[in-house]
Amino acid sequence: MEENANLTAERSLEIIAEQIERSRNVVAKDTGQSLYLSGLATMGTAVIVALANGLSASPNGHLLWLVLPFIIWLIMRIHDRKQAQVPVSLVGTLVGRTWWTFGSIVIGFYLFALIWNFMALRLFDDHTTAAQAMVTITPVIILLMGMAVAITGHILKRRWLVLFGILGGLLVAFCEYSGVIGSIIAYSGASVKTIIVFHVIKPCLSVFLFSLIGLVIPGWMLKKQNP
Amino acid sequence: MMFPALDPLLHSELRLAVISLLMSVDEADFTYIKEQTGATSGNLSVQIDKLTAAGYITVEKGFKGKMPRTTCRITPSGMEAFKNYVKALKKYISAGK
Repeated sequence: MEENANLTAERSLEIIAEQIERSRNVVAKDTGQSLYLSGLATMGTAVIVALANGLSASPNGHLLWLVLPFIIWLIMRIHDRKQAQVPVSLVGTLVGRTWWTFGSIVIGFYLFALIWNFMALRLFDDHTTAAQAMVTITPVIILLMGMAVAITGHILKRRWLVLFGILGGLLVAFCEYSGVIGSIIAYSGASVKTIIVFHVIKPCLSVFLFSLIGLVIPGWMLKKQNP
Repeated sequence: MMFPALDPLLHSELRLAVISLLMSVDEADFTYIKEQTGATSGNLSVQIDKLTAAGYITVEKGFKGKMPRTTCRITPSGMEAFKNYVKALKKYISAGK
C-alpha cells in the first residue's frame, strides 16, 4: 500500500472495510489455533482418563481431568511465545472472556459435583438412592462447551461455527443422557465387566467426540480459512 | 447540496488503512501494522509521524524482551476524526446514487 491521496469515496470505504475484516481474520486464525490445540489436549486427556478408568474398572481416573486446565494453559503459553503477538481487540477480548467464563464455570461445577457425589455415596446406603442424588457431570460440561463454541462463532461471524457448537453439543449431550450406546452394549450380551468398563469410560468417549466436533475440526477450519 | 470537506489527513490510502486498523484494536505493533497494510517501513514511519503530529494516534517506544517495540494507539480525537470522515464519505456516496 502506497501514499495515494486521489481516493474515491467507494475506495475509501473499501479500505476501511478491508482493514476491519483483516483484523477480524487475524483474531479468527488465532482463535482457531487455540481451539485446535485445546481440542487436541482435551482429546489426549480423554484417552488417558479412559485408559486409567478402563484398566482399573473404576471412575477414579476422572480426577485426572483436573490437570487439563494446566495442560491447556501450558500449551497456550508455549504457543504465544512462538507466535507473533495478536493485538488486543474487542473481538479477541470477547472470545477470550467467553472461554474464561466457560473455564471458570466448568472448574467450579466439576469441583462442586465431585464433592456432592462423594457426599451422596457416603450419605445414602442404598445405591439406587445415591445414584439418583448424584449430579451428572459430562452432559452439562458438553452443553456449556457447545454454547461457548456457538458464542465464539457469533463473535467471529462464522455461522458454521455456531452450528458446530449447537449441533455438536446437543448431539453428544443427547447420547450421554439417552444412554443409547450403553443400551446397545447391554443388550448385545456383553459381559458384566465390559458393561462396567463402558460406563466408566463413557464420559471420556463423549468428551473425545465433542472435542473433535466442537474444537479440533472448527479450529482447523478457522486456521485454514484465514491464512 | 453542500458536501462536507474530507479530512485531508485521513484521505490517503495508507493513513486511512492505519487508522482503520487501529480503530478495531486497542493497540498495535509497528510490525503488525506493516504486515497488515503491506507498506514499506520508511513510508509507514512517515505516515505514522503525520498522524502523531495531528494528535490522531500516539506512539510508544519500548522493549519486548530484548527486542525494540513500537506500539501505536488511536486517540479520542483520532476516533472523532475517523467518525466524521466516515460520515462525510456516506454523504458523498448517497449523493452519487
